[in-house]
Amino acid sequence: MDYKGDIYYIEQVLAGKINAFSYIVERHKDKSFNLAFRICGNREEAEEIAQDSFLKAYRSLNGFKMKSSFATWLYRIVYNTAISNVRIKKKGLLSLEDFPADATDFIRDNVSEEESEKEYKNSLVNFALQKVNEEERGLISLFYFEEMSIEEISVVTGITKSNIKVKLFRARQKMLEIIEKVEKRKLIYHE
Amino acid sequence: MNNQIKYSDDPLSQYINSDKVEKAPEGFTSKVMASVQLEAMPLRTTNFLRKIGMIPVISVSVTIVLILAALFIPANETALSFGPVVDFIKNLKISLPEYDIKSIISFNPSEILIYVVIGIIILSLFDMALNMLFHKDKG
Repeated sequence: MDYKGDIYYIEQVLAGKINAFSYIVERHKDKSFNLAFRICGNREEAEEIAQDSFLKAYRSLNGFKMKSSFATWLYRIVYNTAISNVRIKKKGLLSLEDFPADATDFIRDNVSEEESEKEYKNSLVNFALQKVNEEERGLISLFYFEEMSIEEISVVTGITKSNIKVKLFRARQKMLEIIEKVEKRKLIYHE
Repeated sequence: MNNQIKYSDDPLSQYINSDKVEKAPEGFTSKVMASVQLEAMPLRTTNFLRKIGMIPVISVSVTIVLILAALFIPANETALSFGPVVDFIKNLKISLPEYDIKSIISFNPSEILIYVVIGIIILSLFDMALNMLFHKDKG
């Protein structure tokens, strides 16, 4: 079935056809889950956050201004829910030893070398993400994974554009340092 | 913003594969919709009276009825036009107590304290009964 656009389904929901909301969920579930997962780093928690965010969106659908982007509005809810969830369940930071030093840990049967390399890099980025604070994690996720512009990130997070640039720069530096350390450790392990 | 330009001089981008999207688990939509249906149920049963509360509505209605009744009961018997109802009210022979201004001035709280306590107990019991009546569905 063709998706008729967010506004169409929102109007249906507001008119009392609750089931129309399932089309909206189906449309945005992966990106919402992805953002929640990048911020909290745990699939179970990410599912909880994403579900909670959709429920919040449903509750405040009346307040949504039809002229703005529903996706941006929804991501703002997901971002805020994920950030506050992480702040509540503040976990201890991971140490470098928590990341497997042997890259062969990422090689699986029936998977090409290229795929294994991608899997390794993805795990490495996820690991580095968990080493920066939740706000930086959110900004990195929105910028790199959701490929949002600085303007869009500003709308989602409520942080000024200039501040986002500064925070992104710092987060990027931190993550690169962590990645370099892990890579060095891997080299030492293989020597 | 063009993401190709954005990534060109960014060393972090070589580690990030934005195509790799962590997908929502199976049954995600049905779980959300189950919560939404639960959320929507009270909305369907909510009516105007429930929204503003039954007790104030009944109180205000009774007060309005009593005020209207008082207004429509004629002062003299010759103008009677409300038949048996007014007859009944008239036959109740209720008389208002006479106020003695001196007794108000020489008011002694200890004399009426027992009546105040009894009154509070009766009103509390009445309030509890109303509360149980109107909130029994909330369990």
